[in-house]
Amino acid sequence: MKLRALSLCVFACTACAFDIDDFFDQVDNALTASAFHDNLRVRLSGTLDLEIYHFEQPAPGLIDSSIDTLFNPRLILFLDAQVGSHIYFFSQSRLDRGFDPSDHGAQVRLDEYALRVTPWDDGRFTLQIGKFATVVGNWVPRHLPWENPFINAPIVYENVTPIRDKSAPFSVFDFVYGFYYYQKYAFNPVIWGPSYASGISVSGRLDRFDYAVEMKNASLSSRPESWSVTETGFEYPTFSGRVGFRPNEAWNFGLSASEGPYFRREAEATLPPGRDIGDYREFVIGQDASFAWRHLQVWVEFYEARFQVPRVGNADTLAYYVEAKYKFTPQLFAAIRWNQQLFDDVSDPSGGSIRWSEDLARIDLAAGYRFTSHTQLKLQYSYQHETTGQGNDNHLVAAQLTTRF
Amino acid sequence: MRLRRLLWFNAVFSIMPVVLLAGVVVEGRVELPKSHSAPVQAKRYEIVTKGGVLSTQPPLAVVYLDGAFPRPASVPTKEVAQKDLTFVPALLPIRIGTRVEFPNLDDTYHNIFSYSPAKRFDLGRYRAEERPIPAEVFDKPGLVTLRCDIHDHMRGLILVLNTSYFVMTDTDGHFRLSGLPPGRYTLKAWIDSRTTREKPVELKDGQTLHVDFP
Repeated sequence: MKLRALSLCVFACTACAFDIDDFFDQVDNALTASAFHDNLRVRLSGTLDLEIYHFEQPAPGLIDSSIDTLFNPRLILFLDAQVGSHIYFFSQSRLDRGFDPSDHGAQVRLDEYALRVTPWDDGRFTLQIGKFATVVGNWVPRHLPWENPFINAPIVYENVTPIRDKSAPFSVFDFVYGFYYYQKYAFNPVIWGPSYASGISVSGRLDRFDYAVEMKNASLSSRPESWSVTETGFEYPTFSGRVGFRPNEAWNFGLSASEGPYFRREAEATLPPGRDIGDYREFVIGQDASFAWRHLQVWVEFYEARFQVPRVGNADTLAYYVEAKYKFTPQLFAAIRWNQQLFDDVSDPSGGSIRWSEDLARIDLAAGYRFTSHTQLKLQYSYQHETTGQGNDNHLVAAQLTTRF
Repeated sequence: MRLRRLLWFNAVFSIMPVVLLAGVVVEGRVELPKSHSAPVQAKRYEIVTKGGVLSTQPPLAVVYLDGAFPRPASVPTKEVAQKDLTFVPALLPIRIGTRVEFPNLDDTYHNIFSYSPAKRFDLGRYRAEERPIPAEVFDKPGLVTLRCDIHDHMRGLILVLNTSYFVMTDTDGHFRLSGLPPGRYTLKAWIDSRTTREKPVELKDGQTLHVDFP
């Protein structure tokens, strides 16, 4: 009976899909405006996401919730404006329960805003200033709900490590076993999601090569509260860059690097005497590749990261994932992603060494169906397993319904 | 005398098919809607972007003679290209059964798809130099909206018609439809997905009819 009802629902949705698409196209026309002989063009668009997560405690990734089943609605509004042929502005604002899924109350944020100047038509040079996603890696272009084949991010963008940016550890054991004493939100991943920090970037293309360099106010691992210029200034900037090589449309290879201090200002009091925030840095080297042809897309990213940790030394980690998406029909797609993060040892006071976090492996499976070109349903299952230590597991089931306009 | 008659008969006979082929002509004007606002390309997460702006597509209408006409023996292949991140042409009327090719003339990928009931397809991503050029045969009448999975702003329309007698207006709305067969028909003007105007017409051989769609 339930199956019949579901089939009927899918049929009804598909049958009226054309009318819905037509309606959203009319909305799109209504939300697009131009003036001064089309020299000023503005478009308002967005997505409405309804997400449900079910997981075991502790919640996986950057999910910040003490309840096992979390409902996470989100409204995203984009503003894109083109002034003449060389100036472009965009912004992204959100109404949700937090930048990452959480059981907190509603909040409104301006997550991104940037002004971009492209003086030459061939794209050899672009200057951008504002608060915007990092140029590192190849995940950012598909991190939003409509483009992302999954509901969550690859492990390197969301797995919290023992790194803390608000206070320095007072010993190696405090660093390694801090998870047991502090709230989860005290810790940082290697790269915090798309890392919408504030700053300036320069990018361009020279034949088959492209480049991008940015100076931001916060490191790749920094939390969303650090990304705003009102919160974090440019006294301790982070420099990141990526060089890409595209032999043809199907293949894309990239090398990324990033370097900058990762502590927030309130951590200063906890640093060893005579040291300041600038003495403890995050170094990231990344390699990425992607392939796309017909209905298949594949992405790979490898990251090696080093954190300089007070009273501990260098804490190294390696994280990678391989992700593939395939469209079986015009409306149905499936995706699979294998993620792994490995942690090196740090020296303990007794002269031995200790792994600074447990190695992790995670497989993500997702299926998506586009009822219309504006409505999409995704289902995801993830299984995470600690490959060292106690071998803890975690299962995540999630659903996300996205309507874009 | 017999020779003169034969020559005269020959001349009349040779001209006749031309007259028949010329058929009836309908011309007139369609009141077109106001232009949509110029499109805006979302370039938020493109590390490298080119300068320039997207071209504005003026609204056009398709005028066609509705009725039951025999299918032609062959239908020519048509083309909708992806050039400068737009569909060219943005509106293509075709006879049912027409094969349409979708060449990619840009140096970046496109992913053309349609969820329209008249034709549901997804061509995936393909390079400009790939042969054969991906194509689809449109075998159901109706409006097909073309989109690109990569470039959100891209929209194209294919109007699949049950008739071979159709023409697109110019940007002022003027049209001229020639070679029509005599008889009683309905002349329709497709203006957009929600607006199709129609008028009954009686076409007489050799006539030039003026029809406006205000």
